[in-house]
Amino acid sequence: MRYAILLLGAPYSSQAAHSALRFAQAVIARGHRLEAVFFYADGVHNAASLATPPQDEPQIVDGWVDLQRDHDVRLEVCIAAALRRGIIDAAEAARHGKDGHSLAPPFTLTGLGQLIDLGVDCDRLITFGA
Amino acid sequence: MILHTLNRSPLDSSVYLQALAAMTEADCLLLIEDGVLGCLPAQAGRWPQLTGRLFALREDLASRGLVDACSDSITVIDIQEFVALTEQATKVVSWY
Repeated sequence: MRYAILLLGAPYSSQAAHSALRFAQAVIARGHRLEAVFFYADGVHNAASLATPPQDEPQIVDGWVDLQRDHDVRLEVCIAAALRRGIIDAAEAARHGKDGHSLAPPFTLTGLGQLIDLGVDCDRLITFGA
Repeated sequence: MILHTLNRSPLDSSVYLQALAAMTEADCLLLIEDGVLGCLPAQAGRWPQLTGRLFALREDLASRGLVDACSDSITVIDIQEFVALTEQATKVVSWY
């Protein structure tokens, strides 16, 4: 089956990101195709490239990057939710005159239309709320 | 069958009442995260008529030290079985 995940919680604030990452790994382990994880609302903090958790704690941002690298899972971040929380890629930083950026590939800024597409195209869309 | 997930404890959120109100007799309810506090025997009365359709996630019970405290009326499943439930369900509705 083709799966997608909608994640609404920031890492380390609630359990949502941890649950979503474990679920994503289990979906793949059972032989399904995980098309994308869509990060919305506070979930956009999962894409923070400057996040530096202690080394002996779960590395949630790295977990998403690993999923993309190993299983070609798209990591789609709502642009409107991200920019207002300081999650911004190089192109948007230049457009808005910011000194730095905090979102890097493989995460991509995208619109809510992508979430609608995932809901329509995938067999299952699972939400992890906070 | 629609699978409903609940991640809030029934002790500090009333969202479980909305979940129950939305469920049909064919639907299943999976308690995850703080929702597993609903597994305590003292909370069993909150889940009437859900026999055989009420599940809890083992990893979230274990991380709270509640595996052995879980009510007998609840089926404990692991994350792989969570995915299996989403395969069987036509839709998944998350309550949080």
